[in-house]
Amino acid sequence: MQRIFQIDGVETDCWLGHDGSRFVLNTPTGAVACQLDPTGLPGGYKLRAKGVVRELRLAVGPEATFMHMDGRTYEVGRVDPAERLAGSDGGASDDRLVAPMPGVVVSVAVKPGDAVEEGQPLLVIESMKLETTLTAPRDGVVAEMPFAEGDSFGLKDILAQLAPEEE
Amino acid sequence: MTISKLLVANRGEIAARVLRTAKARGLETAVLRHVAEQEGPAHLIADEVVMIDGPTPVAAYLDISQIVAAATKIGADAVHPGYGFLSENAGFVAALERAGVTFVGPTSEVIDLMGDKVRARAFVEERGFPVAPSAIEDDDPASFVERARAVGYPLLIKPSAGGGGKGMRVVREDSTLETEIETARREGERYFGDGRLFVERYIERPRHIEVQVMGDGQGNVVHFWERECSIQRRFQKIIEETPSPALTPEQRGEICETAAGIARAVNYRGAGTVEFIYAQDGAFYFLEMNTRLQVEHPVTEMVTGFDLVAEQLRVAAGECLSAAQADIPQIGHSIELRICAEDATADFRPAIGDILLLDEPMGEGIRVDSGILDGGKVTTDFDPMLSKLIVHGRDRAQAITRARNAVQNYVVLGVTTNTGYLDEILAHPDFASGDVSTGFLAEQSETLTAPGEDVSDLLMAAAALSDERLVSDVMQIPEMYRKMGGWRN
Amino acid sequence: MRRIESQIDTNAADYKANYAAMSERLKEFHARQHAARYERPQRDFDRLARQNKLGVRERLELLLDPGTPFLEFSTLAACREYDGAVPGAGVVTGIGIVQGREVAIHANDASVKGGAWYPHTVKKIVRLLDVALENRLPVIHICDSAGGFLPLQHGVFPDRYLGGRVFRNQVKLSQANIPQIAVVGGHCTAGGAYVPTLSDYNIIIEGTGAIFLGGPPLVKAATGEEVGVQELGGAVMHTSVSGTGDYRAATEQHAFSLAREIVSQWKRTPKTIIETASFEEPYYDPKELYGIIPKDRKTQFDMREVLARIVDGSRFHEYQPDYGTTMVCGFAHIWGYKVGILANNGVLFNDSSLKAAHFMQLCNQNRTPLVFFQNITGYMVGREYEERGIAKDGAKMLMAQGGSVVPKFTVIANASYGAGNYGMCGRAWDARTLFMWPQAEIGVMGADQAANTMADVKIRQLQREGKELTEEEIAAIREPVLEKYKRDVEAYTSTSELWDDGILDPADTRNALGMSISASLNAPIEEPHYGIFRL
Repeated sequence: MQRIFQIDGVETDCWLGHDGSRFVLNTPTGAVACQLDPTGLPGGYKLRAKGVVRELRLAVGPEATFMHMDGRTYEVGRVDPAERLAGSDGGASDDRLVAPMPGVVVSVAVKPGDAVEEGQPLLVIESMKLETTLTAPRDGVVAEMPFAEGDSFGLKDILAQLAPEEE
Repeated sequence: MTISKLLVANRGEIAARVLRTAKARGLETAVLRHVAEQEGPAHLIADEVVMIDGPTPVAAYLDISQIVAAATKIGADAVHPGYGFLSENAGFVAALERAGVTFVGPTSEVIDLMGDKVRARAFVEERGFPVAPSAIEDDDPASFVERARAVGYPLLIKPSAGGGGKGMRVVREDSTLETEIETARREGERYFGDGRLFVERYIERPRHIEVQVMGDGQGNVVHFWERECSIQRRFQKIIEETPSPALTPEQRGEICETAAGIARAVNYRGAGTVEFIYAQDGAFYFLEMNTRLQVEHPVTEMVTGFDLVAEQLRVAAGECLSAAQADIPQIGHSIELRICAEDATADFRPAIGDILLLDEPMGEGIRVDSGILDGGKVTTDFDPMLSKLIVHGRDRAQAITRARNAVQNYVVLGVTTNTGYLDEILAHPDFASGDVSTGFLAEQSETLTAPGEDVSDLLMAAAALSDERLVSDVMQIPEMYRKMGGWRN
Repeated sequence: MRRIESQIDTNAADYKANYAAMSERLKEFHARQHAARYERPQRDFDRLARQNKLGVRERLELLLDPGTPFLEFSTLAACREYDGAVPGAGVVTGIGIVQGREVAIHANDASVKGGAWYPHTVKKIVRLLDVALENRLPVIHICDSAGGFLPLQHGVFPDRYLGGRVFRNQVKLSQANIPQIAVVGGHCTAGGAYVPTLSDYNIIIEGTGAIFLGGPPLVKAATGEEVGVQELGGAVMHTSVSGTGDYRAATEQHAFSLAREIVSQWKRTPKTIIETASFEEPYYDPKELYGIIPKDRKTQFDMREVLARIVDGSRFHEYQPDYGTTMVCGFAHIWGYKVGILANNGVLFNDSSLKAAHFMQLCNQNRTPLVFFQNITGYMVGREYEERGIAKDGAKMLMAQGGSVVPKFTVIANASYGAGNYGMCGRAWDARTLFMWPQAEIGVMGADQAANTMADVKIRQLQREGKELTEEEIAAIREPVLEKYKRDVEAYTSTSELWDDGILDPADTRNALGMSISASLNAPIEEPHYGIFRL
């Protein structure tokens, strides 16, 4: 199973295997048979790898593992490549915000030419008695805001348009 | 005037450190906590925690009326300001006075005097104490160049309105003095909109040496020997020690007596520090006086055996000092390391994060004044200093060995700290020989942050094996398939 | 269990000669396999690159758990068809491990004729889906096909086990609650559109993946409507408008990550439990099989020597060691799984047939999967044996074998002739997997007998017409028949026609069986029951 580890900004693609008796970390430069046994101290482990035994203290954070070994502290970022990819947007995001149903514009927060960040509210619409805030699908510049406050719109009308991304 | 309930108007390690002494002396204790602040050791020690609020956490700790009101509300009869925040704020002292609450520190007049660098310098110079030769243009613009020349070379031209090193120029030869003054003036105008200048003697490779003083406000002033704080990064001390390896016994006596003399001249009350700039030729000049307890006071406590906070509280309660000068020894050697949440390899960018594991060193000659708790969170709300590691040894060599040992075993996981960097400093041969100046860290920055042994494979192995989901995903693969490996028919 | 004591002398001349001969055969086999997998005209590689597509092998590596095996089926399917222009029948199938789970994989190889379905392609896909159904294996389809190969549509489309069977099997899988994922990495046109749409989950790769019943040219021809691939059936349209697609993937990597993530969401159903022991590598080196298998097919060899190089610890508990000795029966473990083994040490007699029937019943009673090692020239013929009821005893063996409820696995180790093939669980008898060794042969009888039989018919016919034939004339009749027959019984013909699940290097047999057995345990084992034994 794969992980991308990040140390001092350098990413390394690895996968971990277990051949029935020991773990093997497969790195681009070779396979490292390794073993990690607790020492009893909080976060204390004995690491056996590459023919050495090192005592270390270790704490697993949500995105990185922190280690204290031989008087130095290290941070190893962990990325599940599947999650990174699976979480990524399916292809280039749309430049347009299309009305999911007919409704009325409650308020408009930006005007053409405004630079917006992904997730920034662009306008609030009301339909089916619900107010919905529509946000920028990506960082960019607003090209068009065809509807003003109070305007009604139909299904699939374009409510906002971002300027095309420059390559 | 007795003190029965003390409010510590501070946070972090210093609040905890003051509270410990106060409790040991039998006082009731209270400490502040901002509503958004993580729980720290001080909150566990204090009998009472007073919540404060403000537009930012720092603003709350600077909010005089809120803090005075808090002291009054809880019935505190004294406030210890720690260092930083309101510790040198004459307005705070005056406000407490009006509220009838004792300020643990000097009088507002002394704070005012020493807080004004120009006045302080003039005061000290007038009384015959050494200050670096200087000339201020405003005093008499017509004679500025002449007076600058009299300061002697090398000299440093600074914009009066300046700061942060901008517009400063070093002049080593008389021939360039006038053109450099003009350049500095233009830069001053450009940066600060103010072209007024002053010059002072430029000290090559200076050391920072300071003296701990203590007065009872009744004319009795003693010193607690010197501290050397030359290991600085952008004017921020990070390693301090005592005794200074630079001083001969004679120089030590001289510099300490000078400091005591300055304190005596203002009839100093409480703990203070007189800072000097020390030249390689042995000359020293008054820099400024800090009218509070210093961050690095523990090294002084380690070699003298005195509890400086206890002395502060005695004096504040109107008692006299517990010791005369002759009773204050200087035994062994002590070093303090400031443990900061910052990334030494990324231009000392402040680091934040959750403290996932904290294991602070313990043992003979080791003291940790810590402001963090295991499980806590480090934010950018406050100063990045998390704690101080102080060691004591019978001599400097032993103190360095202990300090290295302790800092190597100072485990803070989850937030980047400077422990490795501090160890590199301690390991540097120039530090070992004591041959340092305030420019040491800048000069050695590449050596000190050079990457160490490449242990990436070990780190990745440990990170992989401690990744429970990864391991469980691997172990979900039936054993037969793991043994077959990447077999293909 | 006791270790088999091998009698093989690895220094003997015949061992060495056998070893050399087998090594030659394997060299050829591996070369053919490599060519079928990787060698294509440059233009095919160029086309894939232009289309921004990964090759099917790269796709598999993205899908499978790293460091786990892939048991590929029928690597040389269609090797003797279409002038060899459709290597592997244009599709990769097999059993692999995704998120720790066994899955059946069907992946079009777009480097072969754009992934078009030839008759053998369909046969190979249908077989894979049969494997999935029998073993209850989830299926991952990697779709990238130009559609049915029209010039051969009669061999692709109409019959019971042709194109429609692919989709019928998909329906049956779904009905049986066996999940399927389709990763659409190319076009799925016409019938091909049903592969993703009949899957529980589908992922369309943006830019390259598309699903439509009729592609843009067909639409234009049919209705005059002009429409581009993306508008007609691209990822965006199907995932946001039609709901035909479930997930839109930005890249191939993204698509396979999604597929892996979907697999990890599936409920893990417990597998059927059979007796197991901890693993033990064979005591004897499996490579010694090369020196054991005689270079001359007619030379007899002891199957126990073969078993000693395949089963755990070379340990074998032999059943009825002194009765019906041409049929070796006994228990062993393969990758820890306890199996009952039937292996031929000669022609099947009455006693060996009865022994086999009895042993298979034992294994069914014990829930012990059966593994057949074929080297069989048939049931014994002759008056004495007919009188003893050899056909009746053979029927008992077939009844026991065909009626077995435990999973069966077959290795055609050498000869597989006549009814012996049936008794020893040949292709028609639902072995969960069936593999051949490269020198093995399959046919109603051996090449010489067959050639003689066929030549004799011709010769007698000519003699009836009063022709006197010289030795030369007889040979001239016999030789071409023999040559054709020899080719027809070869493993390469069998594997080309998908009469097996592939040719195996004998040293790979242990892993192939281990994976097959493990996969089979995804399906339950029924209570044993049989038809009527002719007693």
